[in-house]
Amino acid sequence: MDYPLWHLGIGGGILMGIVAVTHVIVAHFAVGGGLLIAATETMAIRKQDREMRELARRGSLILLLIPTVYGVVTGVGIWFVAGLISPAAISALIHNYVWGWAMEWTFFVIEIAAALIYWATWGKVTKGVHVAIGWIYFVAAWISLVIINGIITFMLTPGDWLQTHKFWDGFFNPTYWPSLVLRTGIALLMAAAFLVFPALRAKVEARPQVMRWIGLWLVIGLALSATGYFWWESAMPDEARVLFLGEGAVLPALIATRSFLLWALAATAVVGIVILLALPKAARLPTAIILALAAFAFFGGYERLREGTRKPFLIHDYMFSNGLLVQDIKTVNQEGVLSRSPWAARAAGVSDPSDLEGADPVKVGHAVFQVECAACHTVNGYQGIRPLLGEDPTLVSAVIELLHIQADDYMNMDPGHRANLENLTYPFMPPFVGTDTEREDLVQYLISLAEPGGSSQAAQSGGAR
Amino acid sequence: MNGFDLLPALDPTPNPGPAWLFHGLLVLTFFLHVLFMNLTLGGTLMAALAQLTARGKEGDYRTVLAARMSGINSYGIAFTITTGIAPLLFVQVLYQQTFYPATLLIGSVWLGLLVLLIFGYYTSYLYKFKGAPTKGFGGTFWLVSAAVLFFLIAMIQVAVNLIHSQPETWTAISDHPWSVLGDPTYAVRLLHFVFGAVGLSAAVTAWWAVRRARSTGEGGGETGERRDLDEDIARYAWRWALAAVFLQVVDGFLFLLMLPVMTGLMTTPASAIVLTVGIVLAVGLLMMLTRVRNPVEQPGAATGVLAAMVAILAVMAITRHQVRVLYLEPVTSQLERLSAPQWGNFVLFAVLLVVALATVAWMIRAVLQHPATGDDAA
Repeated sequence: MDYPLWHLGIGGGILMGIVAVTHVIVAHFAVGGGLLIAATETMAIRKQDREMRELARRGSLILLLIPTVYGVVTGVGIWFVAGLISPAAISALIHNYVWGWAMEWTFFVIEIAAALIYWATWGKVTKGVHVAIGWIYFVAAWISLVIINGIITFMLTPGDWLQTHKFWDGFFNPTYWPSLVLRTGIALLMAAAFLVFPALRAKVEARPQVMRWIGLWLVIGLALSATGYFWWESAMPDEARVLFLGEGAVLPALIATRSFLLWALAATAVVGIVILLALPKAARLPTAIILALAAFAFFGGYERLREGTRKPFLIHDYMFSNGLLVQDIKTVNQEGVLSRSPWAARAAGVSDPSDLEGADPVKVGHAVFQVECAACHTVNGYQGIRPLLGEDPTLVSAVIELLHIQADDYMNMDPGHRANLENLTYPFMPPFVGTDTEREDLVQYLISLAEPGGSSQAAQSGGAR
Repeated sequence: MNGFDLLPALDPTPNPGPAWLFHGLLVLTFFLHVLFMNLTLGGTLMAALAQLTARGKEGDYRTVLAARMSGINSYGIAFTITTGIAPLLFVQVLYQQTFYPATLLIGSVWLGLLVLLIFGYYTSYLYKFKGAPTKGFGGTFWLVSAAVLFFLIAMIQVAVNLIHSQPETWTAISDHPWSVLGDPTYAVRLLHFVFGAVGLSAAVTAWWAVRRARSTGEGGGETGERRDLDEDIARYAWRWALAAVFLQVVDGFLFLLMLPVMTGLMTTPASAIVLTVGIVLAVGLLMMLTRVRNPVEQPGAATGVLAAMVAILAVMAITRHQVRVLYLEPVTSQLERLSAPQWGNFVLFAVLLVVALATVAWMIRAVLQHPATGDDAA
């Protein structure tokens, strides 16, 4: 709330989605691919199989060119983007889990070194040394997943950390183990989805054997993914599940996402089993692309669902999606949100945020919007606020009023206990916090958006209240 | 409002360790990062200029040098990024209040760094795999592109560092983000890094060429290596190193004089000692470089120059951090960040770091000790 304002036209969520989803696809391939490549080379050595060796070699080139370049840069990129769209959240995570990330980094060093050495030493070192480096790569990559999984799941289900604020209480949280099983399964799905392409280059007579080998790992990945996913659902607290499961599910978008990802998983299973196991001779580039797209769709859908179920929080029960801390609601209601947001106040031309008398209400409202709403809503783009506005100004006012009342619900919850989202009118939105004047000004700004030329009105408005 | 009024609140979570520990880790990991970063930036710049001046002539020592640099650069880039993660992590722990605002104030440019990095990385690979650098002019475009992209990244990093160190400039930069380029120390600061990067890369190249030349022997190697080629590369790289270090020293003094915190730097005993050591080492290095005509004839000098470069880099990493501490003293002196050390986790990290380095060392040793060819090879 108190950081400089930086909002992208397409919305921060979209930006994070692009960077994070493409990163996790590549990063999970880096883990599963490591296993599949090391296992393939081991098999090739045992059976003295040239085609399997070639599969491992070509696979390691993909590993070199995609995970160690795009994957590494976008991994850092997630920090960059998080620092721009949610600096308070990434700061909270880093201050709690810096040692977790530092530990992960040590395995990352091994992983990168092993990947580079592995590729560079094909045909130059003994088989035993080479395959050992392949296994070292996989173990390091998987342990980095084991560590980062704790930090990711902490955000959704912080568990006992909310009371104790202890590292391991948050790390081994209620969704840690199901998520680890799920992500290990996804890593194998990604490995199959990527490695089916170099497998297509195998000699025609050897191709069925190579495809079946990949298919075997795909089946293991499917089993782990399905088990992990449903375990993950059951491990979720009721308050989060209510958003997308059961008759009373309140977020249609998440309900649809769940259906989508389950259909995508089923499609991955059908296509994968058919082209890799049942009819491996029929495997061609288009079928490989379909398999990859289905697997990516499942994973992307799961990531979308995971992010969505965290609403309205960034760190559940601790920090809302706009960076507001649950513990700060009372203070911000008393002092005003612009008193906490000097950059927004400055942008609105307000020199003393505690006294808004004389300030332009639309500009103040715009500033409040930037602080409280713009983390999720754009004006016209993704989750655009303008299409959501009705023509009836009292409706806008009522919605904001309800969101303000919700602040009391959050304030009244026991510190460190999960918010009872079921009882909220807008369980997926952070409460409105701030003074009455700020609330009224936000309503004025929103109403101005519904008027012709409203998008530029906030910038040009020069009137005082 | 000035930048100090606009500082975000301290993160309420206490630091999971004492500040000195994070300062130490920040400097240590930044030093590791800057070692690889210098090879990436300086090596690519040097390789691009060598390739351009040779005009892709086959067998020319400069095109061979460019090919060699690109050969190691793809590994260098990977480790530049990998070692960059740790200081990025620790700087966020220590400087949450100033680092995030700095990146936000030039948010689009900061984000653009990622795009530049991806393209820079891939263009390096394109040069390596497709550029055929020793067989004509091909690949020059990719190499020059990579050099330009890495230089732009250096520009962004310097800008963010300047903004993050000077909250008093934030309002001006918020209104006119490009004004950061007008900071009096921007250009000298940027050049300081660029000259340093080129200097180290040149020293590594010269050292490598000297080793190759001496192992090849007077009559040439069994596998057809040419000693004269390595001698030419060594002399060429030596001249680069000499020029870069000379410019680095001149620029360094200029930078020092322009630093707003120069007085603080010179009057704080620890800072003054470290800086003096750095200056003495730099001047000594310059003298060492000027006294050698043919580095192949004086292999000890090549090793000494490289060792001195690395030592200067370590010293300058410390000085750079001390400059930042002095810049931010008006901010940090008003705040008291709580700490709740997680010693167990720190020890676990330290042990894992040792294990990681040992594993990497084992892999390199195993590869060197178990070469194989033909059917015996993987």
